[in-house]
Amino acid sequence: MNLSVELAPKHKPGLRLANPVMTAAGTFGYGTEYSHLFDIQRLGAIVCKGTTLEPREGNPQPRLVETASGLLNSIGLQNIGVRALLEEKAPVWAGWRVPVIVNIAGEKVEDYAQLAHELDGAAGISGLEVNISCPNVKAGGAEFGTSPEPAARVTAAVKAATSLPIIVKLTPNTGEIVKVALAVAQAGADAIALINTVRGMAIDIATRRPLLGNKTGGLSGPAIKPIALAMVYEVASAVDVPVIGCGGITSGRDAIEFIMAGASAVQVGTASFQNPRAPLDVLEGIEEFMKKEEIKDIAEIIGAARR
Amino acid sequence: MKQVAAEVISVEQILPGLKRPAARSIAGSWLIRLSCPEIAREARPGQFVMVRCGGELTLPRPFSIHQISGDGIALFFAVWEDGRGTNWLRQKKTGEAVEIFGPLGNGFSIQPSSKNLLLVAGGTGVAPLRFLGQEALGKGCSVTLLLGAATAAQLYPERLLPSLIKLVTATVDGTAGRKGMVTELMPDFAAQADQVFACGPMPMYRDMAAQKRKLRLIGKPVQISLEMRMGCGLGVCYGCTVKTRNGLKQVCKDGPVFELDDILWEELPKS
Repeated sequence: MNLSVELAPKHKPGLRLANPVMTAAGTFGYGTEYSHLFDIQRLGAIVCKGTTLEPREGNPQPRLVETASGLLNSIGLQNIGVRALLEEKAPVWAGWRVPVIVNIAGEKVEDYAQLAHELDGAAGISGLEVNISCPNVKAGGAEFGTSPEPAARVTAAVKAATSLPIIVKLTPNTGEIVKVALAVAQAGADAIALINTVRGMAIDIATRRPLLGNKTGGLSGPAIKPIALAMVYEVASAVDVPVIGCGGITSGRDAIEFIMAGASAVQVGTASFQNPRAPLDVLEGIEEFMKKEEIKDIAEIIGAARR
Repeated sequence: MKQVAAEVISVEQILPGLKRPAARSIAGSWLIRLSCPEIAREARPGQFVMVRCGGELTLPRPFSIHQISGDGIALFFAVWEDGRGTNWLRQKKTGEAVEIFGPLGNGFSIQPSSKNLLLVAGGTGVAPLRFLGQEALGKGCSVTLLLGAATAAQLYPERLLPSLIKLVTATVDGTAGRKGMVTELMPDFAAQADQVFACGPMPMYRDMAAQKRKLRLIGKPVQISLEMRMGCGLGVCYGCTVKTRNGLKQVCKDGPVFELDDILWEELPKS
């Protein structure tokens, strides 16, 4: 049974994963946090917490609200910054078998280029995921991801600054996701991941105030899965680079749906909170399905629902 | 740290419900015992476990470890009438499995030189302190527990505490022990204590931080266990970040136990 996928076929040496299950940025820390709970080396890839040039404090509390089959968050990209990542995290990753992809976020196009430059050539880093989709920061973030032209500019700047394969992660909070996807693919994205969180809100009727400190946040979890699936289906039909599906995946079944919609790989996010082993459960679920259906190569079912 | 399917040994309601017209009502307080040798072996007082409370909830729920006995751990928790996670957990039956992971967090630390410990519990705050008291007695410390509740019926039963713990109670309505808040008992006991350990609601901590002189806490090492809404329990989601004098900390990973003086109380949301 072959589960391996190539996420950057146009890139040399590419980005080959042993299997299509990745973790989603912001839900798996730096990978190290989970190494006591299960064998994280079995995963296809680990995407680390969104990283900025300088450390960020994030947004005021409260930052989390549980909703029906979902989670609203307004963390605001709290992170240790790229230098601490290079000093403390990358050397650990260098000894790992599982590839680690660094998610990068900036306020200006130059920030992304600078981040790509600083991470280029560092041992332990196999690729970059360009975050133009965080809804919880004032400047930058999703504002680059909502229309094709700025999305392409960020992508091109990162491409020019690194030899690493790059994934661009898209926001669903736009009416133009297919156009944005086409623009970033044109600008040099090796792969496209979607979706980041869906903008949302909750109000405390006792205090008559928004529940999140930042008022609005990003919705994740099973609640957004159908939205993500439709967008993956549309984008995968339009672009000629690999697509990575993300949004509410908690089981092998969910992952297979995304793969059949056209995703070459999937990212497991919020599900890891309730069940730290979720990424591995998803992988085992995919394997079980393939065995049952006598599928020899995962490639046989990528995009099956579009044929 | 392990993720396991823990078998339910027993579930017992310990305290009755409490109707509160002006606030969320409590359905009662429960004690659940779970078999999980891997977690029981590792756990230290003040640490917690994450419990997956059914398939419908997106987030697991953190519970302080109340007691360790052999291969089992016990969790003591109040259930809000509208609490979805706790209402799920209290309905578990003996023999069923509950998915949990832990032990998590830093836990309390008893200094080797400490002889007299003062434990201060506001209501359900007794949850992590019973484990701490037991451990301290084992180290030869003398332990005093100040226990407060809204009313006599809401006081954690003395029969469930190790008999060597000296228990002093307070109730808001005066139906048992001293009338008033549990913190009002502190001036009589804090002076003799080498260390103070507290667990209770946020207003109790704010009170302690604001009235250190009156409560005789000046110069006293005070550890508190902070409760915050958590996502992951492992320090990856940054949902439970608090500002401290030593920078940003994750309650789940760097805490839940902090020095009272380390927390910047004015920066925390009210509640």
